[in-house]
Amino acid sequence: MTMTLSKTISLAALGLSATLVAVTGTMALAASPAATAVATRQANFKKMGAAMKVLKDQISSGTISRPQAVAAAKTLAATGRAQAGLFPNGSGASSGAKTDALPAVWSNRSAFDGQIKAFVAQADKMVAVAGSGDLDAVTAQFKAVGGSCASCHKQFRADN
Amino acid sequence: MNRSAAPATARIWDPTIRLFHWLLVALLAFSWWSGEQHDMERHRLSGYAILTLLVFRLFWGFAGPRTARFASFVRGPRAVFAYVRELGSRKGHAADGHNPLGGWSVVALLAAIALMVGAGLFASDVDGIESGPLATYVSFEQSEAAASLHEAVFNVLLALTAVHILAVLFYLVWKRQNLVRPMLTGRRLAEEGETVADLGWSPIRALVGLVLAGVLAWAVSKGFRF
Repeated sequence: MTMTLSKTISLAALGLSATLVAVTGTMALAASPAATAVATRQANFKKMGAAMKVLKDQISSGTISRPQAVAAAKTLAATGRAQAGLFPNGSGASSGAKTDALPAVWSNRSAFDGQIKAFVAQADKMVAVAGSGDLDAVTAQFKAVGGSCASCHKQFRADN
Repeated sequence: MNRSAAPATARIWDPTIRLFHWLLVALLAFSWWSGEQHDMERHRLSGYAILTLLVFRLFWGFAGPRTARFASFVRGPRAVFAYVRELGSRKGHAADGHNPLGGWSVVALLAAIALMVGAGLFASDVDGIESGPLATYVSFEQSEAAASLHEAVFNVLLALTAVHILAVLFYLVWKRQNLVRPMLTGRRLAEEGETVADLGWSPIRALVGLVLAGVLAWAVSKGFRF
């Protein structure tokens, strides 16, 4: 078995690149739970934004359509509850994921969880208020819900 | 007996066009600042004021004095090229009002501001909390697209403003013609014995334009819900 030097080198290179492909492949797999969490929570936030707009539009037009308003409020509450579990450790920007979630989410976890709880409480209240169909009450509760969004975003979301 | 000490001047910009110009500068700056501060209440009010100015300017482009009229300063390619060929000469622009190239810069600025205001009216923030008065007429996705456009056009507006200021500086330094003073005082120095046609601006017409613009902006701010 004689092997020229160049053959040896190219074989070694081949082996190295195969290892590299395997390693990066594994890394991609390992990163995927974080990436999935980021994608899911972002889609959820979009859903909540759309639900907020449904309520905002009704307030602007001056008439509350009860079934629509209640459905939107329920979306806010249910999605808000789901969000609590979608910020696993290692799903911040340092994981390489494209996220506006600040490191404070994980370094100040109890405050973050408290913010989500506060939001869910306001959203639950919105479900009840929307059911009343009362414009002034919905307007006031919309401010409360929006206020809890904003206070959490101020603390835990990158401003851009 | 026309031998007074004060040099003769000629009026080239009417008061409303000067007010329009400087109010626009102030309001654009305020809009940027209030947007950065997330003070959306004031940001919207500033936008309605800009919309009022914009509608007034369009009206004035047809009903205003000669230097304000689109017909007098929106020129064809021949005039623009002729002007560009003479750009290096150290002589200022002979005719009053916008030069053939500057006229198009005015059109571009007005178009960019119109797009800016238009997109803002339909825009919504990502949280669905703050939105323009016309956002109710479009979906959340369209509203977000409008917000992206609103942000993108701002950069175009900045670029056009930079070009505008550079052109004014170019005139000041290279052509030794101060364009800022007439935009403040409305007057330029007149040559000896020069007769300049009257601007022909009508305060009554200005009032009509202002009321028209104000009512339209108010209706838009209400989202056409009365």
